[in-house]
Amino acid sequence: MSADEVTATNEASAPPPAPAPEPPAPAPAKADAPAPMPMPMPMSNPYAKDAPEGTGEIFIAEGAKKRKKKPVEVAIRLTKVTKRFGPKTAVDGVTLKVKAGQVYGLIGPNGAGKTTTFSMMAGFLQPTEGVVEVLGYAPNQVDELRSRIGVLPQDALLPGADKVGEFLIHMARLQDIPADRVEDSAREVLAEVDGRDWWNVKCGSLSHGMAKRVQLAQALIGDPEVVLLDEPTAGLDPRVAYEVRQLIKSRKGRCTLIVSSHNLQELEELCDGAAILDRGRLVASGSMTELTASSAEIRIKLSPGPAPIPLVRDLPMVKRVDFDDEKRELVVYFERAAGVDAEQVIGAVLWVLLQNQARIAAVSKGRGLEQRVMELTD
Amino acid sequence: MSPLSEIRFVAQRELGKSFRSAKGIVLLVLSLLGGTAASLLLVKVQQLKREKMPNIDPESLRSIREDAATQIFGDPATGKSLADAPEVLIAVFLLTIWITPLVISLLSFDSVAGDLQHKAVRYWTLRTRRASYFIGKWAGVFATISTMTFAVHALIWVVCIARGEAPAATALGWGIRFWLLTLPMSAAWCGIATLVSSLFKSPIIALLVTFATFFVLFMFWLIGGVTHANALMYVYPNFYEDMLVNPRLDRLMTGLACCLGMAALYIAGGSYLFTKKDV
Repeated sequence: MSADEVTATNEASAPPPAPAPEPPAPAPAKADAPAPMPMPMPMSNPYAKDAPEGTGEIFIAEGAKKRKKKPVEVAIRLTKVTKRFGPKTAVDGVTLKVKAGQVYGLIGPNGAGKTTTFSMMAGFLQPTEGVVEVLGYAPNQVDELRSRIGVLPQDALLPGADKVGEFLIHMARLQDIPADRVEDSAREVLAEVDGRDWWNVKCGSLSHGMAKRVQLAQALIGDPEVVLLDEPTAGLDPRVAYEVRQLIKSRKGRCTLIVSSHNLQELEELCDGAAILDRGRLVASGSMTELTASSAEIRIKLSPGPAPIPLVRDLPMVKRVDFDDEKRELVVYFERAAGVDAEQVIGAVLWVLLQNQARIAAVSKGRGLEQRVMELTD
Repeated sequence: MSPLSEIRFVAQRELGKSFRSAKGIVLLVLSLLGGTAASLLLVKVQQLKREKMPNIDPESLRSIREDAATQIFGDPATGKSLADAPEVLIAVFLLTIWITPLVISLLSFDSVAGDLQHKAVRYWTLRTRRASYFIGKWAGVFATISTMTFAVHALIWVVCIARGEAPAATALGWGIRFWLLTLPMSAAWCGIATLVSSLFKSPIIALLVTFATFFVLFMFWLIGGVTHANALMYVYPNFYEDMLVNPRLDRLMTGLACCLGMAALYIAGGSYLFTKKDV
């Protein structure tokens, strides 16, 4: 993986990648040592809507008061981050880097440290050790990150006595959105989550799904550069979950999205890259392709009909073939020898199958994310 | 955005929330009922005064007031200065500073703890400095209690003027002064209550600890008074009432500085702890 790619390492299991040449020291996230750390890295930025061509600067507008911001290459950076709660280590030496503009997943079973990691990124929790940076700043540098970061916390209830509209307006005001744009911004994000009718409804009267969408709306106010979403579709019915996924997809390319979820299918569909955590430690990370296709195997789903397995086994590059008769799924393992890659194996296997009247239903390279996670976590 | 703007937004919301919530409305109604009861009591006392002392001259009455005020505040100069104040307003002042801690504890126990309990505080910590959030909460509670005490005092002023107990200028002059003098002590009580509220994620625990803290401070004052250990009494905000009503400017300023200093200390301490806190 190149240094430009999404990278993440766990200090205990693997050394961190050689750091790309970067400007000076990162801003420490620890509250006792805050320091601004702008990262002036020239690159085109997808959310630099108002930036004059070639200036290398972006302007945060669309709600938040127009301010010059230096563009950054890395949206989120965790360096050897550890979080302990008394004797319990929830996150253990995690190093992680997310490039600006990506959709990045945090994956892991319950208790893996996803929400703790997420909460440190959002500044809710302070790391016991290590450094967390968001857009080059410590998460508790609120003024520097105002309107640049939006967060959907997993289990933070909305204030029940507030009406949805007044809650969103209050949030928008605190984000320094100009007074004449406050209500429009609030209404726009509410419309974006399909909740324009809830303006005068009290937050305490909302159903779980409606509340989740209002929470999502507050995370999107002001068009932030980084959006952290903790379990964005948890507890939602399939239709609403689908709509939320579509909404997240629509934000792709406009901002950096960090999504923590148990729903691996959802993450596989949404994310460009992911980090897999288990018991507080990082066990794997990389782009989604790297995570799912790193193994030398292909999977072919066959429709009812002939299944010429022995002929596939006879192919020279094939090492082993497993066939699940019930699922009618063929798994072909091969040697990653020189000149042999997954695409070639797919071509050869499909040719044999089609020559023998097998009916192909689906083909995939590598393992699914779910299988990969199952392998890596206990 | 400046910290002051953050504080303003948080405080405005807190103020609005207080007067819209069932708890805030009930407390306001109870306070107004208390004010009404005090007004009725005033009517009764004045009736008795006229019946029992029909021929008392104003100078003797003034002398009685002066003696009483000297006894209450322990200072002849203060007694002399308060001799011209309508007695009902002195009574309401004393009642206010004794009742206010109770109202503050009921009003503010969940101001921060309520947000911590269900993690709603996370919506704010993303957008405001932690210290601004804390100070905004304190300011919201302080503004609420100030408004409530003003409403009660204003009711008494109206009754006082309407019944001819004092000319309007005298009633308003003394009334506003007494109300203003309750504020520094309220500020300190609000500081303590907000600090306690920010330490707990359970509002009910915060309420109990607030009561306990106020009671301990009261005991310090009581024990300090009995044993003449003044240092113990200094921690009790109401200890400074004598200084605040004193006609000497230096005493007034000392009382003011002590109350506001105490409020500042609790606010600064609370802000610091809240800044370090995992939410």
